[in-house]
Amino acid sequence: MLSRVADSLYWLSRYLERAENLARLVDVCRYDALDAADDDNEEIWRPILYATCTEESFREARDATDDDLDVGSFITFSEANPDSIRQCIALARENARMVRDQISEEMWLELNSIHLFMQSGEAEELWRLQPEGLYREVIKFCLLFEGLIDATILHDEGWHFVQAGKFLERADKTSRILDMLTYAGEPERSQLASALRSCSGFSAFRAEFRGEVTLQNVMGFLLFSPSFPRSVRFCLRELDRILHAISGMPAGAFSNEAERITGSILAQLNFSSVENVWSTGLHRFIDELQQQLNLIGQQVFETYVLLPSEVQNVARPEAWQFQWQQQQQQ
Amino acid sequence: MGIVSLCSMFQSYQKESFFDEMFAAERGEVFPHYEALLERFDRLDEAEVTEKQRRVDRGFLEQGITFTVYGDDRGTERIFPFDLIPRIIPDAEWQTIERGLTQRIIALNLFLHDIYHEGRIMKDGVIPEDVVKTAAHYRPEMLGVDVPKDIYIHICGTDLIRDGEGRYLVLEDNGRCPSGVSYLLENREAMKRAFPRMYRHYGVRPVDHYPELLLKTLQHVSPRPGQTPVCVLLTPGVYNSAYFEHTFLARKMGIEIVEGRDLIVLDGYVYMRTTKGLVQVDVIYRRLDDDFLDPMVFREDSVLGVPGIMDAYLRGNVALANGVGTGVADDKVTYAYVPDMIRYYLDQDPILENVPTYLAWREDDQKYMLENLARLVVKAANESGGYGMLMGPTSTSAEREEFAAKIKENPRNFIAQPVVSLSRHPTICEDHEIEGRHIDLRPFILYGEDVEIIPGGLTRVALRKGSLVVNSSQGGGSKDTWVLHR
Repeated sequence: MLSRVADSLYWLSRYLERAENLARLVDVCRYDALDAADDDNEEIWRPILYATCTEESFREARDATDDDLDVGSFITFSEANPDSIRQCIALARENARMVRDQISEEMWLELNSIHLFMQSGEAEELWRLQPEGLYREVIKFCLLFEGLIDATILHDEGWHFVQAGKFLERADKTSRILDMLTYAGEPERSQLASALRSCSGFSAFRAEFRGEVTLQNVMGFLLFSPSFPRSVRFCLRELDRILHAISGMPAGAFSNEAERITGSILAQLNFSSVENVWSTGLHRFIDELQQQLNLIGQQVFETYVLLPSEVQNVARPEAWQFQWQQQQQQ
Repeated sequence: MGIVSLCSMFQSYQKESFFDEMFAAERGEVFPHYEALLERFDRLDEAEVTEKQRRVDRGFLEQGITFTVYGDDRGTERIFPFDLIPRIIPDAEWQTIERGLTQRIIALNLFLHDIYHEGRIMKDGVIPEDVVKTAAHYRPEMLGVDVPKDIYIHICGTDLIRDGEGRYLVLEDNGRCPSGVSYLLENREAMKRAFPRMYRHYGVRPVDHYPELLLKTLQHVSPRPGQTPVCVLLTPGVYNSAYFEHTFLARKMGIEIVEGRDLIVLDGYVYMRTTKGLVQVDVIYRRLDDDFLDPMVFREDSVLGVPGIMDAYLRGNVALANGVGTGVADDKVTYAYVPDMIRYYLDQDPILENVPTYLAWREDDQKYMLENLARLVVKAANESGGYGMLMGPTSTSAEREEFAAKIKENPRNFIAQPVVSLSRHPTICEDHEIEGRHIDLRPFILYGEDVEIIPGGLTRVALRKGSLVVNSSQGGGSKDTWVLHR
């Protein structure tokens, strides 16, 4: 498979996983805001800006406009936000366009439809009247798309890159949602419940723990659950399996840095406990975890997309980008 | 020829003085192959037409069958407007066209081989050497180079028009990277969905085997015979207006679509970079102009090409389709000589005629051109897409002066033709009125082991009232083209 194609498939799926997680997160946040006694909207929304690393771009966007800038709208539609739901879908679709010959007709049709919808006034109208309706559309689409990936393309190398993108992004998002809990100091029960709902995990949590909604239990669930498909451990286990399927290495061995780091985090998650995390401090633990996850992404790119000789030329200057786009149009 | 009472949608249709594809005369005298179509539209009301059109347009948009509008920062994508009334060509008419196009592509390939080898046609004084060597796309790098199977133009798009008497004439040949075939195939799909019963009733010759024929054409020139050749499609990239077509064809052929950066040349062989390492490439269907192909040989600033690819090509280690240097045949001055080429190489009379063409570098022709600018169409020899053109009858005197100066300054670069009032075809226009609009036809000719032409071609239609320019960049749309079994 062409390296560029592998890269596009990987990003296509990362962006969609990101859009799905965002949609859940914003919808939960929006719902919680209804119960907030506090008038200060921004206070309620701040954790979500923190979790998506968009505090700065939000401030810039707000200062650039005369009107009030709603955080929900910023995360859902804003073009100033490179990680808004609309942008994520547009970027996923852009990647799909580059590999249209590799994905199924159904996948393209669905993705292009949701893209056209998100670009339209119809989506904003729906969001204004009935925000949960819009988020439900996005989540439904993402789940449908996941089904199409499973059911309409070959489960070969390309599929593995799609899965790698999905699980890496999912691990990252779950850890960020967990990190939101450290933002407020001592989280309240409602915040813990929201974190679970943001991962679609409340009922699964109840089934697994039956006990109280405490920070320790929630941490244990979102980090260590062996069977909840959004726990960090679950995601890393899948990623480990997929990376080995791509390289052909037997389990337990590694042939590149991506495999090595994945394996080592997985071992850590397999054999440590909430108590260990507690002694490190949740925030610090997650900080380190996220750095490792970023490193995995980078190493996948360097192993499969770049030839070793080219690693140093990764950053293309903006002028090159411009020329590259211009020449295509002649 | 049947006389029919015109249905509501056609009631106010005016044939006027043009050759009309459907009506032999004013007031309902219809060509027999259009009778059933007219009957079908008779049973449609405006609402049904609107609904069918809406569904077809929506389908194109959702499938991303769009082209990018250049000069628009947001990268807006538009669909190529599609007209629901198909153009119908009876079998006998098509057979003549097919023979004419076959003859033409054979002659063009012999010509290209000749000018890059002995140059007999120039020595024998049929075409001046000067004309050939000053063509913008003449490539001296190709002199003495043998290309696989002596084929230069593997894929040709030749534009045909019909004059006031309904005669088919060749307007131009596109021997570099002709585009449009994906629209042809998608138009057919759309029509089959919109009018399944009428389509079946008509007995239309299929076109959907084009990708297979194209792949066979490509495989035919592989430098590694005996094993399944690795063919790829080289695209400029997602920002190219024809990008949809590139992915479409690659997908239908089941080959990789690559950008320049996916390829690398090592020791004179071309490889693509894959997750499992480098894979050797045998045949490249390139949709990239010569200029951008290799920064080591052509434009140095090209970031789309593959450094060293010309070296691999000249050594015969990789085949390119179309070959390098075919642009000479696209030159509008060369075009004027194609009938002579046919006589010279094949000793046959041309089956399809050219539009009469005046060449400004000939003194007499130039004099005539300058005296009759207001009645002629002037074209720059190497422009396309409807650019660099003077439409005499609708031009201002300032424009004519400008062109007169240009012609005198660079006579090699200009030709003129009488205004051919292209045939018209009933077309659904704004407010659902059916009016006559000018059309042309671009058949796609494949030259591999045999010459293969899928029946019909892309019928382009100038949607603006009175306009003769069918290009999509200038208000053009398209129709499905039905060649009948009988």
